[in-house]
Amino acid sequence: MPTPTVGVVVNPAAGRDVRRLTGSASVSDTYGKRRAAECVLAGLDAVDEPVDAVFAPDSSRIGQRAVEEADRSGVDVLDVEVEGTGADTRRAAAAFRETADAVVTFGGDGTTRDLAVEIGDVPVIAVSTGTNNVVPTMADGTVAGAAAAFVATGAAPADAVATRHTTVTAEAADGRSVRGLATVGLVDRSFVGTRAILDPDDFLGGMVSRASRGDIGLSGIAGACTHLAPGTPRGIALDLDPDADLTVSAITTPGVVEDVGVADWGRLDPDAERTFAVDEAVVSADGERELAVQDTTIAVRPVADGPRIVDLDAVFERAPTIGE
Amino acid sequence: MSTQPDTPSADSTESMTVREAIRAALREEMDRDEDVFVMGEDVGNYGGVFEVTDGLYEEYGDERVRDTPISEAGFVGAGVGAAASGTRPVVEVMFSDFLGVAGEQIMNQMAKMRYMFGGKAEMPITVRTTEGGGMGAASQHSGTPHTWFAHFPGLKAVTPGTPKAAKGLLKSAIRSNDPVFFFENKLMYEQDGEVPTDPSYTAPIGEAAVEREGSDVTVVATQRLVGESLSVADDLAGEVDVEVVDLRSLYPLDTETLADSIRKTGRMVIADESPVSYGVHAEVVSRMVEDEFFSLDAPLQRVGVPDTHVPFSTPLEDEVVPDGDDVRSAIHQVV
Amino acid sequence: MTLISMKDSDGREEALRRMLLIREFDSTAGDLFADGDIPGFVHLYIGEEAVAVGACAALDEEDFITSTHRGHGHCIAKGLDPRRMMAELLGKRDGYCNGKGGSMHIADVDANMLGANGIVGAGPPLAAGAALTCQYHDEDRVALAFLGDGAVAQGQIHEAINLAATWDLPAVFLVENNHFGEGTPVEEQHNVENLSETAESYNIPGFTVDGMDVTAVNEAVEEARKRAIAGDGPTFIEAETYRYRGHFEGDPQPYRTEEDVERWQQRDPIDAFTEQLIDRGELAESELDDLRAEVEAEIEEAVEFAREADEPTPEEAYDDMFGEPVPEIERFANALRTDGRGGDPQ
Repeated sequence: MPTPTVGVVVNPAAGRDVRRLTGSASVSDTYGKRRAAECVLAGLDAVDEPVDAVFAPDSSRIGQRAVEEADRSGVDVLDVEVEGTGADTRRAAAAFRETADAVVTFGGDGTTRDLAVEIGDVPVIAVSTGTNNVVPTMADGTVAGAAAAFVATGAAPADAVATRHTTVTAEAADGRSVRGLATVGLVDRSFVGTRAILDPDDFLGGMVSRASRGDIGLSGIAGACTHLAPGTPRGIALDLDPDADLTVSAITTPGVVEDVGVADWGRLDPDAERTFAVDEAVVSADGERELAVQDTTIAVRPVADGPRIVDLDAVFERAPTIGE
Repeated sequence: MSTQPDTPSADSTESMTVREAIRAALREEMDRDEDVFVMGEDVGNYGGVFEVTDGLYEEYGDERVRDTPISEAGFVGAGVGAAASGTRPVVEVMFSDFLGVAGEQIMNQMAKMRYMFGGKAEMPITVRTTEGGGMGAASQHSGTPHTWFAHFPGLKAVTPGTPKAAKGLLKSAIRSNDPVFFFENKLMYEQDGEVPTDPSYTAPIGEAAVEREGSDVTVVATQRLVGESLSVADDLAGEVDVEVVDLRSLYPLDTETLADSIRKTGRMVIADESPVSYGVHAEVVSRMVEDEFFSLDAPLQRVGVPDTHVPFSTPLEDEVVPDGDDVRSAIHQVV
Repeated sequence: MTLISMKDSDGREEALRRMLLIREFDSTAGDLFADGDIPGFVHLYIGEEAVAVGACAALDEEDFITSTHRGHGHCIAKGLDPRRMMAELLGKRDGYCNGKGGSMHIADVDANMLGANGIVGAGPPLAAGAALTCQYHDEDRVALAFLGDGAVAQGQIHEAINLAATWDLPAVFLVENNHFGEGTPVEEQHNVENLSETAESYNIPGFTVDGMDVTAVNEAVEEARKRAIAGDGPTFIEAETYRYRGHFEGDPQPYRTEEDVERWQQRDPIDAFTEQLIDRGELAESELDDLRAEVEAEIEEAVEFAREADEPTPEEAYDDMFGEPVPEIERFANALRTDGRGGDPQ
């Protein structure tokens, strides 16, 4: 039996975009990320048996440094190319798909989505390094490391503690498409620009794979219409219009709660489609503008094929204790 | 020549200290021009460590009397940017020893901007700062670096020796569209004298003032040594007839007034509290040699700091900081 | 009114034109330098065009900028005339600085362009000062400082940011991270990956933006300007970009390979934006050709203007030291006029 292995991915760019200016998003600095990544190593010692750790390399050398400074054995850096983009995460995920028993990511929705594309069935502990994230949760690195160790060793079986997340896709008439983990949106802008959604009023509509009044952004707006638990194989389509009769109160961006006009909303079963006709818009995924489109239709649909996201509480409920 | 009156009138006067004269100049210029503002460390609510700006904060508010962080490169640099963009800052650097901290902004921005830009930038900034030993402040708070600034192209430097000169020169400095360094000797703040009260009174930059006429020897003095030289001249009255000139402006330098004086006396002592080598003294000597070689009757004498730093202990400090006795000895060398 | 409205297609075409103009200007400047027509040093902006154009497009004509030793792009983006810029590079009297500044000191105070700057990190204090003027006069104007990644290691920029942040000055600090401070990679000069982390020490927003994307830079500066005008203080933006040429013309560049450069050239800011405009149907290939031809002609004309312009006369060396001239310099100038000797030693 090979030693259980936990993969660690740190996105150095997460929590550093223009939302620090346009919203009240908090800052995630490199030093904090580095310490969090190092904490994962300590967390692995929460299980009795040895667990190996493999860090994805990154352009800020957070992963590399964690390995260089580790004072335990069984720690290594993944041998993949680094170019300083989201492709780094995807490459790491592809490697971990074959070699890791659990993966810890530090980043936002964008990072988790990049990972999701390639990670296959490996359970993912997604830790947020920003404020306006829907999928990753805030957790200490040590705790995330301990959870990963319990999952990787089977002490907390993945089938019991991880839920397969639904994803959402948006496809233009010309075949270009964007995939989101929690959301795809249509944004009233002409260019991808800074990628961030600068003004929630720019949302024309979209599709979410989860919805809660406690979520921020499009998921929060959908959550004000109806609740959709993560892992439910379904999506909610939204058609927004500032002049709509129906308005809902939602957290649209950190620091902002406002009334949003909802022209139409509805649940969609997997692979059912909702189409939007647009003259000029940018398709977003998980809060990032991704694809500029003109004079086309955009079809959005939920797909029940996302990553298996680990629920930390569920892990620790199953973790061994000395009492009964 | 110095007999020219300062512009336009100095008729009505009031007795005040150098500190009060500087404050009066700041107040008058702030009243005259809304673009004039003061900034520096502790100049606001505190009133300045030497109390020069005392009361201005209450009178003009925190926009016009601005306390800065302890950040000379930052606020001197901001002063340069502000001057280049349409305001008229008066920046106080608490001790001239700190000017090095702002060296880059002074040397490469403030001094060069107008010239580098082909004359298309105005640089109406005044830097007020304190100089001199005599208060046990030790080397890093007692220096007299004014020569550097007089030497550096693109800057003007003035060193008032009387309350009247302090007021008149500061007003000219603030009105000037060129960067002017205004050097205040710390021991002079309590020195008093008659000062014109007319708000239109200014002392032109680049003109020396004959403070006492005499025929035997010229003492060209700056700052505190002007007063000390006048006392020496009084002491020597009847024995040696001493002319005392307050140099006032180091750059530009009033060669003409000095030349007129040496033509009359044939002898000169230059008394300036700065290191003797390569200094103000040397510049005055050089100009007299160039222009008035045939008027010289005796070797020119320099009185200054003997190329040391200013030490802390009183006997040491007394040794290197020049005073009236040094001026008197120098006079006796040539008369 | 912003200098260029990138919200409409005319504005976007103008932004493209200015990026092309910068590239053509600097390519030509590089050639002229190689031919020995330009004395001194020349630092070219090629590869970084999206930063200058994106940023200046978001500014008002009345806003101030300070620049760097790599300043040609900032000048053109701010609207300076390439003819007078080229004349300055050639040391001619019709140059922006009458031939006294050269490449590293081009300035046009009338256009609120407070100068390229030969000293790394010297611009931000000046921008803080200009922002102080804006605040002091209670005007809706801002001052934007362009600075390089190398400048982030300079003490005076931190003093400037602290001052601006403490006083809520309407300033924007825009770091062009072109990945090399002179001949040393950025990661060997700084202990942080994202230079925008600098902002955290000053309690102001700091973030990183794609400096190869003109619309991204434009959006970011537009938002930063709004914050400045609202009285909320400065913003610190890091734009990730790349210089294609050496630190200076003639730099042997031992610190990188041609492949490194080619990798970044695949994301060329002009190509990327051109492609976007063509995809959007805003620009036809033929219009692009016209635009390129127009830009080439404009730079050719600038070179012609510069070549034909008069050299300054030796007497002019004595002008412009002071607003109120001093007798010391007059004396040298007079000596030149009377006996042709001037400041030269006998």
